[in-house]
Amino acid sequence: MTEPLLDIKNLRIRFRSDEGTVKPVNGVSFQVNEGETVAVVGESGCGKSLTSLSILGLVPSPGEVFEGEIRLQGKDLTKLKKNQMRKLRGNEISMIFQEPMTSLNPVFTIGNQMTEVIKLHQQLDKKESINKVVEMLDLVGIPEPERVVRQFPHQLSGGMRQRVMIAMALSCNPKLLIADEPTTALDVTIQAQILNLMKKLKDELNTGVILITHDLGVVAEVADRVVVMYGGEVVEEAHVNEIFDNPVHPYTRGLLSSVPKMTGSVEELGAIQGSVPTPSQMPKGCKFHPRCPIATDLCKDEHPNLEETLPNHFKRCFHMEGGSIYEQHKRETTT
Amino acid sequence: MRYFLSSILKVIPVLLMISFIVFFLVRLTGDPVSLMLPETATDQQREDLRQSLGLNDPIYIQYFTYMADVIQGDFGESFRYNQPAIDIVLERLPASFTLAISSMIIATIIAVPAGIYSAIKRNTFADLIITGSSVLGKAMPNFWLGIMLILILAVQFSIFPVSGSGTIAHLVLPSITLGTAIAAEMTRLIRSSMLEVLGSEYIRTARSKGLRETIVVNKHALRNALIPVVTIMALQTATLIGGTLITETVFSWPGMGQLLVQAVNARDMAVVQAATFIIAILVILSNLTADLTYRFLDPRIKYED
Ligand SMILES: Nc1ncnc2c1ncn2[C@@H]1O[C@H](COP(=O)(O)OP(=O)(O)OP(=O)(O)O)[C@@H](O)[C@H]1O
Ligand SMILES: [Mg+2]
Repeated sequence: MTEPLLDIKNLRIRFRSDEGTVKPVNGVSFQVNEGETVAVVGESGCGKSLTSLSILGLVPSPGEVFEGEIRLQGKDLTKLKKNQMRKLRGNEISMIFQEPMTSLNPVFTIGNQMTEVIKLHQQLDKKESINKVVEMLDLVGIPEPERVVRQFPHQLSGGMRQRVMIAMALSCNPKLLIADEPTTALDVTIQAQILNLMKKLKDELNTGVILITHDLGVVAEVADRVVVMYGGEVVEEAHVNEIFDNPVHPYTRGLLSSVPKMTGSVEELGAIQGSVPTPSQMPKGCKFHPRCPIATDLCKDEHPNLEETLPNHFKRCFHMEGGSIYEQHKRETTT
Repeated sequence: MRYFLSSILKVIPVLLMISFIVFFLVRLTGDPVSLMLPETATDQQREDLRQSLGLNDPIYIQYFTYMADVIQGDFGESFRYNQPAIDIVLERLPASFTLAISSMIIATIIAVPAGIYSAIKRNTFADLIITGSSVLGKAMPNFWLGIMLILILAVQFSIFPVSGSGTIAHLVLPSITLGTAIAAEMTRLIRSSMLEVLGSEYIRTARSKGLRETIVVNKHALRNALIPVVTIMALQTATLIGGTLITETVFSWPGMGQLLVQAVNARDMAVVQAATFIIAILVILSNLTADLTYRFLDPRIKYED
């Protein structure tokens, strides 16, 4: 078996403060292969952004990775020196951030901010890098790229800024692209364009992509594999078809049923009960048990492990072998 | 350019207001005639002077006469010096200006690196030292610091002259005295502004591109962090030019502060008015400079007019 492009093993991130320690990411493991798109889904606050920031070594202080490995082609990124890490950023690994409105520096032009990264990682002179910027802006569907190069972020709409961020992230042909909610600020047509662009990049350059999103429609369209996170852990991981056709974990099922299906009726829109616990008040046992329709006493006391129950299909749940119990339970409670 | 003209136009009502306030305030503080004449003067003498100064005219007439003169740069005669008031004020301006600018330069040279450094080394020993020193620098009264500097560097070691003006050497001690407090304030400002900027998302983006930390800090963060600092510093400069009485007194520095206080004590109205006017104009000018710098630093402003 070939080595994965990215291999995250038992990643744990903590924030220490006077009020105590919280661990918003607590034992996350998953892999991304070359040319593969892995979607990371889960409700707000489950640790998706922190996990991805840790790959770049950019967990905001006082947060720190205190356990686990992040291997890029075998090399453990958590052990790298600062300047070694810096050489990878923007070059081998690049990231599109969640906040398009504030992720660009307000006092420098788009051209300035984009050429910066190109000049840094590719041996191009000023003129060549500007040409490259124009080319990239054009590629992400920005009209009049020559003009945009000279503009400041505040002169662009949110969608345009997001496209600039995407162009910037793609400009050095990264091996791994992390896209944190890359299309939320965009309208549907642009969204489709961007997703196509990411697909193209993946096919042509064999880029591995981590796609963080709330939009399960996007997941269905572009992801190869899906990692479902809850409370700082992976609760289910499987091929995209498996996730949609045969979701095992009650949380995944909840997520799926809270998506309005194109064909489905409105009744299917039953979101998961209750709200996400904060990292400081994580329940004991299975973290999902207070919201779980099939929780038992076992779930309250014991913490389940992530197990491969079906081939290449992992879940963190004591019950559920292929979902039969869930179905049965649902039938019992509704009648 | 259009911006420049429009801001000049905006200045006129401000100047009018100031003239109004100055005019009436001075008239409310007492009878100038009784100050200008000896105790023994007769009522007739008083009345004559009153008449000749126009003090018997209705107050609005007095104001218009006064304004007509002011527009021509005539603030009247100083009765203490028997010279045009404006000349006396302008004579003091270069000294005040030099002292203000050199204090600002000293403050900036200290505060910019210190502020940046303590922000990036937040909560370390170095930060503690810098923050501590700036509290100290702010707390030290100017007269005390001035006297200490004189005692040590002028009296004990004779490196700098004790007081007076005329050479660069004379400028050093008063500039340090004034510069210290400003440096302290400025360091604190830069530190907090820098901390805020360093936590922002565009700094994270800059880091995610693989830029060196020095570029992240000195290019991406500093330019943003300076925006709020500039305004406050420009106003600070204006205050300095307007007078730093204590430091001027300690070092016998012939600046505006000294002049203004003496003029107020003597009720030398013409000088008080002229000085207040000049200071007002300087404040307005430094506001304008601040505004222009602001525009230079922050491209967002231009398009919001
Ligand atoms: N500086 C911090 N100190 C303490 N806790 C933090 C800090 N930053 C983030 N967290 C915690 O980490 C958790 C995970 O944050 P993260 O940003 O990774 O969530 P997310 O899954 O990306 O959510 P979203 O979908 O809203 O972007 C949050 O619940 C938050 O409480
Ligand atoms: Mg997030």
